[in-house]
Amino acid sequence: MSARRIVLTSGKGGVGKTTTTANLGAALAKSGKRVVLVDADIGLRNLDLVLGVEKRIVFDLVEVVEGRCQLRQALIKDKRLENLSILPAAQTRDKTAISELQMAEVIQQLAALCDYVLIDCPAGIEHGFRNAIAGAAEAIVVTTPEVSAIRDADRVIGKLQERGLPVRLIINRIRPEMVRSGDMLGVDDVTEILSAELLGIVPDDEEVIDTTNRGEPIALIAESRLGAIYAKIARRLEGELVPFTVLGAPSFFERLFRKAG
Amino acid sequence: MINQVVQDEVPVAGDLPRVRGRAIVVTSGKGGVGKTTTTANLGTALAALGASVVLVDADVGLRNLDIVLGLEARVRHHVLDVLEGLVTLDDALVTDKRVPKLRLLAAAQTREKDDVDTVAFRDLIGTLRDRFDYVLIDCPAGIEKGFVNAIAGADEAIVVCTPEVAAVRDADRVVGLLGDDRKVELIVNRLRPALVRKGKMLSVEDVNDILHLPLLGVIADAPDVIVSTNRGQPVALDPASEVGESYRAIARRITGQDRAAPEVPREKTFFGKLFGGRS
Repeated sequence: MSARRIVLTSGKGGVGKTTTTANLGAALAKSGKRVVLVDADIGLRNLDLVLGVEKRIVFDLVEVVEGRCQLRQALIKDKRLENLSILPAAQTRDKTAISELQMAEVIQQLAALCDYVLIDCPAGIEHGFRNAIAGAAEAIVVTTPEVSAIRDADRVIGKLQERGLPVRLIINRIRPEMVRSGDMLGVDDVTEILSAELLGIVPDDEEVIDTTNRGEPIALIAESRLGAIYAKIARRLEGELVPFTVLGAPSFFERLFRKAG
Repeated sequence: MINQVVQDEVPVAGDLPRVRGRAIVVTSGKGGVGKTTTTANLGTALAALGASVVLVDADVGLRNLDIVLGLEARVRHHVLDVLEGLVTLDDALVTDKRVPKLRLLAAAQTREKDDVDTVAFRDLIGTLRDRFDYVLIDCPAGIEKGFVNAIAGADEAIVVCTPEVAAVRDADRVVGLLGDDRKVELIVNRLRPALVRKGKMLSVEDVNDILHLPLLGVIADAPDVIVSTNRGQPVALDPASEVGESYRAIARRITGQDRAAPEVPREKTFFGKLFGGRS
């Protein structure tokens, strides 16, 4: 059996690739899947911080490629979820330290060990991006409902399609009240511009700032609103038809006059 | 120091020989912390003070500065057209009609960062310094070729960082790569004072305990920035916007007109909200 190999990318930075990778990985692992997360952001790694494993790094992706250690030695097992492991990036090297071919080989080896390999892509469309997509068979594009993020996502989707990778979309940090007041693009606007299949809608939630700083993925916090949303995204990845959550508390009048559906 | 004197006298247009302008790269390491928004607003605020300003988008392939300034429909040519000799510099500069002393030099959207020759780009920044008081360079995220190009011609850097562990770590790495030859200053962006009080966000002091940089300014997180970015109207143009005022204050600090220490946004109290004033 070989794992699904999925790259999480966006073009624009800071839209939530790393947070999404960590939480989706945690949600999949919680449902019993064996998951390996790969940080492809060599030189600016952060996935280790978001998962709270930064003090446990001994070896990294570049050392694996250079044959300085075994692949298994570099994998860090999450202490909360035994199905979840991370392969950290090197911090003091740069993206040219490995080639696309070397990256694809590492991903191939990981795919033999688990059910899902999720690859956290760096921002931009340079060498680091090309490496990150090299070993992937599918892509999840993360975007926020902002004009500049959508423009960058559009550019990235073009590049992914050129490579023949199927693309699905997660719209992150949506603020329903701003959509309603016309100050933010809505889900339909974004999917219409990008014309990609929708995989998830994640609302803006200030709790994420705190959980990220503490290295505890919000998907692991029982009864958190976002935890339930990431669990649904994980089920959709598994092929289940899961209806999208209607976001935000409806206004007083909406509650009075129609039922949210 | 020479720059300082010139700034105090506010430059005038004319044929007099002038001191070269300052080339400042706006960078961060991590993406999405507000580099482009900061570049657009500081450029707008500096030009509103009377300085001549050119904003250079160094994010070849993923440009956004034109959108944030609302100039995307008026971009005809870009940096690579100039570097490759297809058009003159003047053909490629877009004038902002709201602030006529502000110009934009857009990035190419359908090309790659590897297409830009670092030395040629550095020389172009040098040419711009001869013509403008301020050359602000909007750096792409990351530390790859696009970063190397963006910092090549800059003699100063503004590091934009949000109060998040990941952003601070990336900023720290970038400060190391900027080296010791440049003046490097810090803007802490998207601070939420209420979260800091609850211990759920790093404070400005926490950030700077790690980065140890001179603090140029602190910007509060405010939804009006998202709106203004989507509309292509920099908040620095809005006299009623508090975030706009923070950018204007940073601009005055850059020119040397304001030498006071930067103000850290404070949490609004219930009464402050009621009466609309600052708490």
